Amino acid sequence: MIQLYHVTKTYPPKSQALTDVNLEIGKGEFVFLAGPSGAGKTTLLKLLFREEELTEGRILLDGKNITRLNGRGVARLRRELGLVFQEFKLLPRLSALENVALAAEVVGIPRRESHTKAYQLLRELGLRDRYDAKPLALSGGEQQRVAIARALVNDPLIVLADEPTGNLDADAADETMKLFFKIREKGTTILIASHDLELIKRYGSRVIALRQGRVADDLHRVKQEGNAR
Amino acid sequence: MRGSQIGFVTRRVRSSLRELLWSHVLTAGTMAMSLFVFGAFMMLQENLQHFLTGLGDQIQINAYLEKGLGASDVQSLQGRIKTFPEVARARHISQEQAWLDFRAALGAQSSLLDGLPRDVLPPSFEIWLKPAYRDGPVVEDLANRLKKEKGITAVEYPQEWVDRLSLVVLAVQWTQWLLGGVLFMATFFIAGSMVKLAILARKDEIEIMQLVGASEELIQAPFVLEGMIQGIAAGAVSVACLWSLFRFLQRQVASSIGLFGAPAQLQFLDLKNIALLLVIGWLLGAAGSLFALRRFVRTWKV
Repeated sequence: MIQLYHVTKTYPPKSQALTDVNLEIGKGEFVFLAGPSGAGKTTLLKLLFREEELTEGRILLDGKNITRLNGRGVARLRRELGLVFQEFKLLPRLSALENVALAAEVVGIPRRESHTKAYQLLRELGLRDRYDAKPLALSGGEQQRVAIARALVNDPLIVLADEPTGNLDADAADETMKLFFKIREKGTTILIASHDLELIKRYGSRVIALRQGRVADDLHRVKQEGNAR
Repeated sequence: MRGSQIGFVTRRVRSSLRELLWSHVLTAGTMAMSLFVFGAFMMLQENLQHFLTGLGDQIQINAYLEKGLGASDVQSLQGRIKTFPEVARARHISQEQAWLDFRAALGAQSSLLDGLPRDVLPPSFEIWLKPAYRDGPVVEDLANRLKKEKGITAVEYPQEWVDRLSLVVLAVQWTQWLLGGVLFMATFFIAGSMVKLAILARKDEIEIMQLVGASEELIQAPFVLEGMIQGIAAGAVSVACLWSLFRFLQRQVASSIGLFGAPAQLQFLDLKNIALLLVIGWLLGAAGSLFALRRFVRTWKV
Protein backbone atom coordinates (compact mmCIF):
# COMPACT_ATOMS: atom_id res chain seq x y z
CA MET A 1 0.00 0.00 0.00
CA ILE A 2 2.80 2.40 0.93
CA GLN A 3 6.27 1.95 -0.58
CA LEU A 4 9.22 4.26 -0.08
CA TYR A 5 12.45 3.72 -2.02
CA HIS A 6 15.62 5.59 -1.09
CA VAL A 7 13.63 8.60 0.04
CA THR A 8 15.69 11.62 0.99
CA LYS A 9 14.38 15.03 1.96
CA THR A 10 16.67 17.99 2.31
CA TYR A 11 15.44 21.42 3.39
CA PRO A 12 17.48 24.31 2.02
CA PRO A 13 20.26 25.00 2.48
CA LYS A 14 21.52 21.67 3.82
CA SER A 15 19.20 20.39 6.53
CA GLN A 16 18.65 16.70 5.87
CA ALA A 17 15.28 15.66 7.36
CA LEU A 18 15.19 12.15 5.87
CA THR A 19 18.05 10.11 4.49
CA ASP A 20 17.68 7.07 2.26
CA VAL A 21 14.46 5.78 3.83
CA ASN A 22 13.15 2.46 2.50
CA LEU A 23 9.80 1.18 3.73
CA GLU A 24 6.92 -1.05 2.74
CA ILE A 25 3.60 -0.95 4.54
CA GLY A 26 0.91 -3.41 3.51
CA LYS A 27 -2.81 -2.93 3.08
CA GLY A 28 -4.67 -2.88 6.38
CA GLU A 29 -1.52 -2.59 8.48
CA PHE A 30 -1.51 -0.54 11.66
CA VAL A 31 1.85 1.19 11.94
CA PHE A 32 3.37 3.58 14.41
CA LEU A 33 6.05 5.96 13.23
CA ALA A 34 8.06 6.55 16.37
CA GLY A 35 10.97 8.75 17.29
CA PRO A 36 11.93 11.88 19.15
CA SER A 37 11.20 15.40 17.89
CA GLY A 38 13.19 16.15 14.73
CA ALA A 39 13.51 12.46 13.81
CA GLY A 40 11.63 13.04 10.54
CA LYS A 41 8.20 11.60 11.39
CA THR A 42 6.18 14.63 10.34
CA THR A 43 8.34 15.15 7.23
CA LEU A 44 7.65 11.57 6.18
CA LEU A 45 3.90 12.07 6.58
CA LYS A 46 4.07 15.37 4.69
CA LEU A 47 5.81 13.59 1.82
CA LEU A 48 3.01 11.03 1.77
CA PHE A 49 0.24 13.60 1.49
CA ARG A 50 2.43 15.80 -0.68
CA GLU A 51 2.67 18.87 1.45
CA GLU A 52 6.38 18.48 0.79
CA GLU A 53 8.21 17.22 -2.26
CA LEU A 54 10.98 14.73 -1.79
CA THR A 55 14.54 15.52 -2.85
CA GLU A 56 15.49 12.01 -3.97
CA GLY A 57 13.83 8.62 -4.23
CA ARG A 58 10.38 7.36 -5.07
CA ILE A 59 7.09 6.92 -3.21
CA LEU A 60 4.28 4.63 -4.35
CA LEU A 61 0.83 4.71 -2.79
CA ASP A 62 -1.45 1.85 -3.80
CA GLY A 63 0.95 1.22 -6.69
CA LYS A 64 0.83 4.80 -7.96
CA ASN A 65 3.96 6.91 -8.08
CA ILE A 66 3.21 10.14 -6.22
CA THR A 67 6.70 11.57 -6.57
CA ARG A 68 5.86 14.04 -9.29
CA LEU A 69 2.28 15.25 -9.22
CA ASN A 70 0.77 18.52 -10.40
CA GLY A 71 -1.83 20.45 -8.37
CA ARG A 72 -4.71 18.40 -9.74
CA GLY A 73 -2.84 15.16 -9.02
CA VAL A 74 -2.15 16.22 -5.43
CA ALA A 75 -5.85 17.04 -4.93
CA ARG A 76 -6.81 13.59 -6.30
CA LEU A 77 -4.23 11.89 -4.08
CA ARG A 78 -5.54 13.61 -0.95
CA ARG A 79 -9.07 12.41 -1.67
CA GLU A 80 -7.78 8.88 -1.14
CA LEU A 81 -6.15 9.76 2.16
CA GLY A 82 -7.61 10.59 5.54
CA LEU A 83 -5.54 13.11 7.47
CA VAL A 84 -5.65 13.64 11.21
CA PHE A 85 -3.57 16.26 13.03
CA GLN A 86 -2.62 17.02 16.60
CA GLU A 87 -4.32 20.42 16.46
CA PHE A 88 -7.53 18.97 14.93
CA LYS A 89 -7.76 21.66 12.18
CA LEU A 90 -11.52 22.17 12.50
CA LEU A 91 -13.28 25.31 11.33
CA PRO A 92 -14.68 27.07 14.41
CA ARG A 93 -17.61 28.70 12.60
CA LEU A 94 -18.91 25.36 11.30
CA SER A 95 -20.71 22.74 13.37
CA ALA A 96 -19.22 19.27 13.87
CA LEU A 97 -21.52 17.95 11.14
CA GLU A 98 -20.58 20.73 8.71
CA ASN A 99 -16.88 20.22 9.38
CA VAL A 100 -17.17 16.57 8.45
CA ALA A 101 -19.48 17.17 5.49
CA LEU A 102 -17.14 19.84 4.07
CA ALA A 103 -14.59 17.18 3.15
CA ALA A 104 -17.24 15.26 1.21
CA GLU A 105 -18.71 18.31 -0.47
CA VAL A 106 -15.39 19.52 -1.88
CA VAL A 107 -14.94 16.24 -3.73
CA GLY A 108 -18.35 16.61 -5.35
CA ILE A 109 -20.67 14.59 -3.12
CA PRO A 110 -24.06 16.38 -3.03
CA ARG A 111 -24.83 18.35 0.12
CA ARG A 112 -27.63 16.13 1.39
CA GLU A 113 -25.62 12.95 0.86
CA SER A 114 -22.56 14.54 2.49
CA HIS A 115 -24.56 15.53 5.53
CA THR A 116 -26.16 12.09 5.85
CA LYS A 117 -22.76 10.42 5.62
CA ALA A 118 -21.23 12.86 8.09
CA TYR A 119 -24.06 12.27 10.55
CA GLN A 120 -23.69 8.48 10.30
CA LEU A 121 -19.96 8.75 10.98
CA LEU A 122 -20.41 11.07 13.93
CA ARG A 123 -22.99 8.66 15.32
CA GLU A 124 -20.59 5.74 14.90
CA LEU A 125 -17.90 7.71 16.69
CA GLY A 126 -20.19 8.46 19.61
CA LEU A 127 -21.09 12.05 18.78
CA ARG A 128 -24.74 11.56 17.95
CA ASP A 129 -25.86 14.27 20.37
CA ARG A 130 -23.02 16.63 19.58
CA TYR A 131 -23.29 16.89 15.79
CA ASP A 132 -24.69 20.40 15.93
CA ALA A 133 -22.07 21.77 18.32
CA LYS A 134 -19.32 24.15 17.22
CA PRO A 135 -15.77 22.83 17.81
CA LEU A 136 -15.09 25.25 20.64
CA ALA A 137 -18.01 23.78 22.56
CA LEU A 138 -16.50 20.29 22.28
CA SER A 139 -13.83 18.67 24.47
CA GLY A 140 -10.41 17.85 23.00
CA GLY A 141 -11.33 14.20 22.60
CA GLU A 142 -14.61 15.09 20.89
CA GLN A 143 -12.84 17.50 18.55
CA GLN A 144 -10.37 14.79 17.60
CA ARG A 145 -13.25 12.40 16.93
CA VAL A 146 -14.81 14.99 14.62
CA ALA A 147 -11.45 15.31 12.86
CA ILE A 148 -11.28 11.52 12.51
CA ALA A 149 -14.82 11.46 11.13
CA ARG A 150 -13.76 14.06 8.57
CA ALA A 151 -10.75 11.93 7.65
CA LEU A 152 -13.04 8.94 7.07
CA VAL A 153 -15.90 10.60 5.24
CA ASN A 154 -14.45 9.93 1.77
CA ASP A 155 -13.64 6.26 2.58
CA PRO A 156 -9.85 6.65 2.37
CA LEU A 157 -7.45 3.80 1.62
CA ILE A 158 -4.96 5.15 4.11
CA VAL A 159 -5.29 7.24 7.25
CA LEU A 160 -2.26 9.34 8.17
CA ALA A 161 -2.25 10.80 11.67
CA ASP A 162 0.36 13.17 13.03
CA GLU A 163 0.50 13.06 16.84
CA PRO A 164 -3.30 12.56 17.04
CA THR A 165 -3.27 12.20 20.82
CA GLY A 166 -0.77 14.97 21.48
CA ASN A 167 -3.42 17.39 22.76
CA LEU A 168 -5.54 14.83 24.59
CA ASP A 169 -5.64 13.54 28.14
CA ALA A 170 -5.02 9.84 28.79
CA ASP A 171 -8.68 8.77 28.58
CA ALA A 172 -9.34 10.70 25.38
CA ALA A 173 -6.09 9.38 23.89
CA ASP A 174 -7.21 5.86 24.72
CA GLU A 175 -10.60 6.45 23.10
CA THR A 176 -8.93 7.85 19.99
CA MET A 177 -6.61 4.87 19.63
CA LYS A 178 -9.53 2.48 19.96
CA LEU A 179 -11.21 4.35 17.13
CA PHE A 180 -8.17 3.90 14.91
CA PHE A 181 -8.22 0.16 15.54
CA LYS A 182 -11.90 0.08 14.70
CA ILE A 183 -11.16 1.85 11.43
CA ARG A 184 -8.37 -0.62 10.65
CA GLU A 185 -10.86 -3.49 10.91
CA LYS A 186 -12.46 -2.22 7.69
CA GLY A 187 -9.17 -2.78 5.88
CA THR A 188 -7.89 0.78 6.04
CA THR A 189 -4.15 1.21 6.42
CA ILE A 190 -3.26 3.33 9.43
CA LEU A 191 0.01 5.20 9.86
CA ILE A 192 0.38 7.19 13.07
CA ALA A 193 3.33 9.41 13.93
CA SER A 194 3.88 9.67 17.68
CA HIS A 195 6.62 10.27 20.16
CA ASP A 196 4.52 8.86 23.03
CA LEU A 197 6.36 5.64 23.89
CA GLU A 198 3.74 4.52 26.42
CA LEU A 199 1.03 4.74 23.80
CA ILE A 200 3.17 2.94 21.24
CA LYS A 201 3.98 0.17 23.69
CA ARG A 202 0.31 -0.26 24.49
CA TYR A 203 -1.04 -0.28 20.94
CA GLY A 204 1.76 -0.73 18.47
CA SER A 205 1.52 -3.75 16.22
CA ARG A 206 4.29 -2.54 13.98
CA VAL A 207 6.64 0.24 15.00
CA ILE A 208 9.00 2.01 12.63
CA ALA A 209 11.49 4.01 14.64
CA LEU A 210 13.13 6.99 13.02
CA ARG A 211 16.28 8.59 14.33
CA GLN A 212 17.95 11.60 12.71
CA GLY A 213 16.07 11.03 9.50
CA ARG A 214 16.91 7.36 9.12
CA VAL A 215 14.98 4.16 9.87
CA ALA A 216 16.59 2.96 13.08
CA ASP A 217 14.24 0.04 13.74
CA ASP A 218 11.27 -1.70 12.16
CA LEU A 219 9.59 -3.91 14.74
CA HIS A 220 6.79 -6.25 13.78
CA ARG A 221 5.14 -7.28 16.98
CA VAL A 222 2.42 -9.61 17.98
CA LYS A 223 -0.95 -8.02 17.54
CA GLN A 224 -2.10 -6.25 20.62
CA GLU A 225 -5.45 -5.04 19.45
CA GLY A 226 -6.96 -7.27 22.08
CA ASN A 227 -5.58 -4.91 24.68
CA ALA A 228 -6.95 -1.99 22.81
CA ARG A 229 -10.41 -3.39 22.85
CA MET B 1 -16.66 21.47 -11.71
CA ARG B 2 -19.60 19.23 -10.85
CA GLY B 3 -23.14 20.48 -10.40
CA SER B 4 -23.11 19.79 -6.67
CA GLN B 5 -19.94 21.87 -6.33
CA ILE B 6 -21.67 24.89 -7.91
CA GLY B 7 -24.03 24.84 -4.94
CA PHE B 8 -21.04 24.60 -2.62
CA VAL B 9 -19.35 27.59 -4.29
CA THR B 10 -22.57 29.62 -4.15
CA ARG B 11 -22.96 28.93 -0.44
CA ARG B 12 -19.37 29.96 0.21
CA VAL B 13 -19.85 33.19 -1.74
CA ARG B 14 -23.02 33.94 0.18
CA SER B 15 -21.38 33.34 3.52
CA SER B 16 -18.33 35.42 2.54
CA LEU B 17 -20.51 38.32 1.39
CA ARG B 18 -22.27 38.17 4.73
CA GLU B 19 -19.21 37.77 6.94
CA LEU B 20 -16.89 40.20 5.14
CA LEU B 21 -19.59 42.64 4.10
CA TRP B 22 -17.64 45.84 4.80
CA SER B 23 -14.52 44.62 3.09
CA HIS B 24 -16.63 43.87 -0.01
CA VAL B 25 -18.40 47.22 0.22
CA LEU B 26 -15.04 49.01 0.44
CA THR B 27 -13.67 47.19 -2.60
CA ALA B 28 -16.81 47.76 -4.65
CA GLY B 29 -16.83 51.43 -3.55
CA THR B 30 -13.25 51.95 -4.73
CA MET B 31 -14.03 50.31 -8.03
CA ALA B 32 -17.21 52.38 -8.37
CA MET B 33 -15.22 55.60 -7.91
CA SER B 34 -12.82 54.69 -10.71
CA LEU B 35 -15.67 53.65 -12.96
CA PHE B 36 -17.52 56.87 -12.14
CA VAL B 37 -14.55 59.06 -13.21
CA PHE B 38 -14.15 57.01 -16.37
CA GLY B 39 -17.87 57.17 -17.05
CA ALA B 40 -17.90 60.96 -16.51
CA PHE B 41 -15.25 61.34 -19.20
CA MET B 42 -17.24 59.01 -21.39
CA MET B 43 -20.30 61.19 -20.89
CA LEU B 44 -18.31 64.37 -21.62
CA GLN B 45 -16.92 62.88 -24.79
CA GLU B 46 -20.33 61.63 -25.85
CA ASN B 47 -21.87 65.08 -25.31
CA LEU B 48 -19.10 66.87 -27.20
CA GLN B 49 -19.50 64.38 -30.02
CA HIS B 50 -23.23 64.96 -30.02
CA PHE B 51 -22.67 68.71 -30.03
CA LEU B 52 -20.30 68.38 -32.97
CA THR B 53 -22.77 66.27 -34.90
CA GLY B 54 -25.41 68.91 -34.29
CA LEU B 55 -22.97 71.56 -35.43
CA GLY B 56 -22.21 69.54 -38.54
CA ASP B 57 -25.84 69.91 -39.57
CA GLN B 58 -25.33 73.65 -39.47
CA ILE B 59 -22.10 73.69 -41.46
CA GLN B 60 -22.64 75.64 -44.58
CA ILE B 61 -20.43 77.19 -47.19
CA ASN B 62 -21.14 80.73 -48.30
CA ALA B 63 -20.18 81.37 -51.91
CA TYR B 64 -20.32 85.10 -52.75
CA LEU B 65 -21.26 86.07 -56.28
CA GLU B 66 -20.29 88.87 -58.60
CA LYS B 67 -22.69 91.77 -58.42
CA GLY B 68 -24.83 92.19 -61.48
CA LEU B 69 -24.91 88.49 -62.38
CA GLY B 70 -27.95 87.78 -64.54
CA ALA B 71 -30.80 85.51 -63.36
CA SER B 72 -30.01 82.91 -66.00
CA ASP B 73 -26.32 82.84 -64.92
CA VAL B 74 -27.37 82.47 -61.29
CA GLN B 75 -29.69 79.61 -62.21
CA SER B 76 -27.10 77.78 -64.27
CA LEU B 77 -24.47 78.28 -61.51
CA GLN B 78 -26.93 76.89 -58.93
CA GLY B 79 -27.53 73.90 -61.22
CA ARG B 80 -23.80 73.24 -61.46
CA ILE B 81 -23.30 73.54 -57.70
CA LYS B 82 -26.10 71.06 -57.06
CA THR B 83 -24.33 68.50 -59.24
CA PHE B 84 -21.36 68.40 -56.81
CA PRO B 85 -21.66 65.10 -54.90
CA GLU B 86 -20.90 66.80 -51.56
CA VAL B 87 -23.77 69.27 -51.85
CA ALA B 88 -27.08 68.54 -50.13
CA ARG B 89 -28.75 71.79 -51.19
CA ALA B 90 -27.89 75.29 -52.32
CA ARG B 91 -30.01 78.38 -51.67
CA HIS B 92 -29.58 81.61 -53.59
CA ILE B 93 -29.53 84.79 -51.48
CA SER B 94 -30.13 87.88 -53.58
CA GLN B 95 -28.72 91.30 -52.60
CA GLU B 96 -32.19 92.31 -51.47
CA GLN B 97 -32.61 89.13 -49.39
CA ALA B 98 -29.11 89.54 -47.87
CA TRP B 99 -30.03 93.10 -46.88
CA LEU B 100 -33.29 91.96 -45.26
CA ASP B 101 -31.58 89.05 -43.44
CA PHE B 102 -28.86 91.35 -42.13
CA ARG B 103 -31.39 93.90 -40.98
CA ALA B 104 -33.39 91.22 -39.20
CA ALA B 105 -30.23 89.88 -37.54
CA LEU B 106 -29.36 93.35 -36.22
CA GLY B 107 -32.81 93.66 -34.68
CA ALA B 108 -33.05 96.84 -32.58
CA GLN B 109 -29.76 98.11 -33.99
CA SER B 110 -31.01 97.90 -37.59
CA SER B 111 -31.12 101.70 -37.78
CA LEU B 112 -27.32 101.53 -38.17
CA LEU B 113 -28.00 100.56 -41.76
CA ASP B 114 -30.01 103.69 -42.46
CA GLY B 115 -28.43 105.70 -45.22
CA LEU B 116 -26.55 102.75 -46.72
CA PRO B 117 -27.51 101.60 -50.25
CA ARG B 118 -29.61 98.40 -50.23
CA ASP B 119 -27.24 96.70 -52.63
CA VAL B 120 -24.19 97.02 -50.36
CA LEU B 121 -24.15 93.27 -49.62
CA PRO B 122 -23.14 90.82 -52.35
CA PRO B 123 -25.49 88.07 -53.57
CA SER B 124 -24.48 84.58 -52.49
CA PHE B 125 -25.27 80.90 -52.31
CA GLU B 126 -25.74 79.14 -48.97
CA ILE B 127 -24.53 75.60 -49.56
CA TRP B 128 -25.30 72.73 -47.13
CA LEU B 129 -23.24 69.58 -47.21
CA LYS B 130 -24.27 65.95 -47.03
CA PRO B 131 -23.26 64.39 -43.62
CA ALA B 132 -20.67 62.10 -45.23
CA TYR B 133 -18.77 65.08 -46.65
CA ARG B 134 -18.38 67.24 -43.55
CA ASP B 135 -14.73 66.43 -42.90
CA GLY B 136 -12.20 69.25 -42.98
CA PRO B 137 -10.19 68.24 -46.09
CA VAL B 138 -13.37 67.46 -48.08
CA VAL B 139 -14.89 70.85 -47.27
CA GLU B 140 -11.64 72.61 -48.15
CA ASP B 141 -11.43 70.77 -51.47
CA LEU B 142 -15.03 71.68 -52.31
CA ALA B 143 -14.39 75.32 -51.40
CA ASN B 144 -11.40 75.40 -53.75
CA ARG B 145 -13.45 73.94 -56.58
CA LEU B 146 -16.25 76.46 -55.95
CA LYS B 147 -13.75 79.32 -56.07
CA LYS B 148 -12.87 78.24 -59.63
CA GLU B 149 -16.50 78.51 -60.77
CA LYS B 150 -17.24 81.47 -62.98
CA GLY B 151 -19.30 84.13 -61.14
CA ILE B 152 -18.06 83.22 -57.63
CA THR B 153 -15.79 85.81 -56.05
CA ALA B 154 -15.17 84.39 -52.58
CA VAL B 155 -15.95 81.30 -50.49
CA GLU B 156 -16.25 81.16 -46.67
CA TYR B 157 -16.74 78.19 -44.35
CA PRO B 158 -16.45 77.72 -40.56
CA GLN B 159 -14.43 74.52 -40.79
CA GLU B 160 -11.37 75.71 -38.92
CA TRP B 161 -12.95 75.93 -35.50
CA VAL B 162 -15.03 72.82 -36.08
CA ASP B 163 -11.70 71.06 -36.63
CA ARG B 164 -10.42 72.54 -33.39
CA LEU B 165 -13.46 71.24 -31.54
CA SER B 166 -12.85 67.83 -33.07
CA LEU B 167 -9.37 67.99 -31.61
CA VAL B 168 -10.86 68.77 -28.20
CA VAL B 169 -13.09 65.70 -28.51
CA LEU B 170 -10.07 63.63 -29.42
CA ALA B 171 -8.16 65.02 -26.43
CA VAL B 172 -11.06 64.17 -24.11
CA GLN B 173 -11.16 60.68 -25.59
CA TRP B 174 -7.44 60.17 -24.98
CA THR B 175 -7.66 61.61 -21.47
CA GLN B 176 -10.56 59.30 -20.74
CA TRP B 177 -8.57 56.21 -21.72
CA LEU B 178 -5.28 57.34 -20.17
CA LEU B 179 -6.86 58.40 -16.89
CA GLY B 180 -9.13 55.37 -17.04
CA GLY B 181 -6.09 53.14 -17.58
CA VAL B 182 -4.30 54.57 -14.53
CA LEU B 183 -7.44 54.36 -12.41
CA PHE B 184 -8.16 50.83 -13.54
CA MET B 185 -4.62 49.72 -12.77
CA ALA B 186 -4.94 51.21 -9.28
CA THR B 187 -8.36 49.60 -8.84
CA PHE B 188 -7.03 46.30 -10.10
CA PHE B 189 -4.35 46.26 -7.39
CA ILE B 190 -6.76 47.47 -4.72
CA ALA B 191 -9.21 44.71 -5.67
CA GLY B 192 -6.31 42.27 -5.59
CA SER B 193 -5.26 43.44 -2.12
CA MET B 194 -8.81 43.07 -0.87
CA VAL B 195 -8.92 39.52 -2.21
CA LYS B 196 -5.65 38.85 -0.38
CA LEU B 197 -7.30 40.06 2.82
CA ALA B 198 -10.28 37.83 2.13
CA ILE B 199 -7.91 34.92 1.50
CA LEU B 200 -6.10 35.60 4.76
CA ALA B 201 -9.40 35.79 6.60
CA ARG B 202 -10.25 32.34 5.25
CA LYS B 203 -6.75 30.90 5.34
CA ASP B 204 -7.70 28.07 7.69
CA GLU B 205 -10.67 27.11 5.58
CA ILE B 206 -8.57 27.09 2.39
CA GLU B 207 -5.86 25.05 4.10
CA ILE B 208 -8.41 22.46 5.23
CA MET B 209 -9.98 22.37 1.79
CA GLN B 210 -6.55 21.73 0.28
CA LEU B 211 -5.89 18.97 2.80
CA VAL B 212 -9.12 17.14 2.02
CA GLY B 213 -8.46 17.24 -1.72
CA ALA B 214 -10.36 20.26 -3.03
CA SER B 215 -9.24 21.21 -6.52
CA GLU B 216 -7.55 24.54 -7.17
CA GLU B 217 -10.57 25.64 -9.22
CA LEU B 218 -12.98 24.90 -6.38
CA ILE B 219 -10.85 26.89 -3.94
CA GLN B 220 -10.45 29.83 -6.31
CA ALA B 221 -13.97 29.95 -7.78
CA PRO B 222 -15.67 31.68 -4.82
CA PHE B 223 -13.06 34.45 -4.76
CA VAL B 224 -13.35 35.04 -8.51
CA LEU B 225 -17.15 35.01 -8.26
CA GLU B 226 -17.01 37.49 -5.38
CA GLY B 227 -14.73 39.71 -7.50
CA MET B 228 -17.21 39.57 -10.39
CA ILE B 229 -20.13 40.43 -8.12
CA GLN B 230 -18.18 43.35 -6.65
CA GLY B 231 -17.26 44.55 -10.15
CA ILE B 232 -20.81 44.43 -11.48
CA ALA B 233 -22.13 46.09 -8.32
CA ALA B 234 -19.46 48.79 -8.70
CA GLY B 235 -20.48 49.28 -12.35
CA ALA B 236 -24.14 49.60 -11.37
CA VAL B 237 -23.34 52.07 -8.57
CA SER B 238 -21.19 54.18 -10.91
CA VAL B 239 -24.00 54.28 -13.52
CA ALA B 240 -26.46 55.35 -10.80
CA CYS B 241 -24.08 58.12 -9.66
CA LEU B 242 -23.54 59.25 -13.25
CA TRP B 243 -27.31 59.40 -13.71
CA SER B 244 -27.59 61.60 -10.61
CA LEU B 245 -24.82 63.85 -11.95
CA PHE B 246 -26.54 64.00 -15.32
CA ARG B 247 -29.87 64.97 -13.75
CA PHE B 248 -28.16 67.62 -11.65
CA LEU B 249 -26.40 69.11 -14.67
CA GLN B 250 -29.56 68.96 -16.69
CA ARG B 251 -31.45 70.93 -14.05
CA GLN B 252 -28.77 73.39 -12.97
CA VAL B 253 -26.42 73.97 -15.84
CA ALA B 254 -27.97 72.91 -19.12
CA SER B 255 -29.59 76.23 -19.96
CA SER B 256 -26.46 78.24 -19.13
CA ILE B 257 -24.15 76.29 -21.41
CA GLY B 258 -26.26 76.94 -24.48
CA LEU B 259 -24.22 77.99 -27.46
CA PHE B 260 -25.25 80.09 -30.42
CA GLY B 261 -28.44 80.96 -28.60
CA ALA B 262 -29.72 77.39 -28.59
CA PRO B 263 -29.79 75.55 -25.26
CA ALA B 264 -27.51 72.53 -25.29
CA GLN B 265 -29.26 69.16 -24.99
CA LEU B 266 -27.27 67.04 -22.53
CA GLN B 267 -27.06 63.36 -23.37
CA PHE B 268 -26.74 60.49 -20.89
CA LEU B 269 -24.59 57.47 -21.70
CA ASP B 270 -26.12 55.26 -24.34
CA LEU B 271 -26.83 51.57 -23.62
CA LYS B 272 -23.59 50.48 -25.26
CA ASN B 273 -21.53 52.63 -22.88
CA ILE B 274 -23.55 51.57 -19.83
CA ALA B 275 -22.89 47.95 -20.79
CA LEU B 276 -19.20 48.83 -21.26
CA LEU B 277 -18.99 50.21 -17.71
CA LEU B 278 -20.59 47.06 -16.31
CA VAL B 279 -18.30 44.83 -18.34
CA ILE B 280 -15.20 46.79 -17.26
CA GLY B 281 -16.33 46.45 -13.62
CA TRP B 282 -16.93 42.74 -14.08
CA LEU B 283 -13.54 42.23 -15.72
CA LEU B 284 -11.73 44.34 -13.12
CA GLY B 285 -13.23 42.31 -10.28
CA ALA B 286 -12.50 38.96 -11.90
CA ALA B 287 -8.98 39.89 -13.06
CA GLY B 288 -8.06 41.45 -9.69
CA SER B 289 -9.15 38.29 -7.89
CA LEU B 290 -7.39 35.94 -10.30
CA PHE B 291 -4.20 37.97 -10.14
CA ALA B 292 -4.17 37.91 -6.32
CA LEU B 293 -5.04 34.22 -6.22
CA ARG B 294 -2.33 33.27 -8.67
CA ARG B 295 0.30 35.11 -6.70
CA PHE B 296 -0.99 33.95 -3.35
CA VAL B 297 -2.32 30.41 -3.57
CA ARG B 298 0.40 29.16 -5.91
CA THR B 299 3.12 30.15 -3.49
CA TRP B 300 1.15 28.78 -0.62
CA LYS B 301 2.41 25.44 0.55
CA VAL B 302 -0.21 22.96 1.65
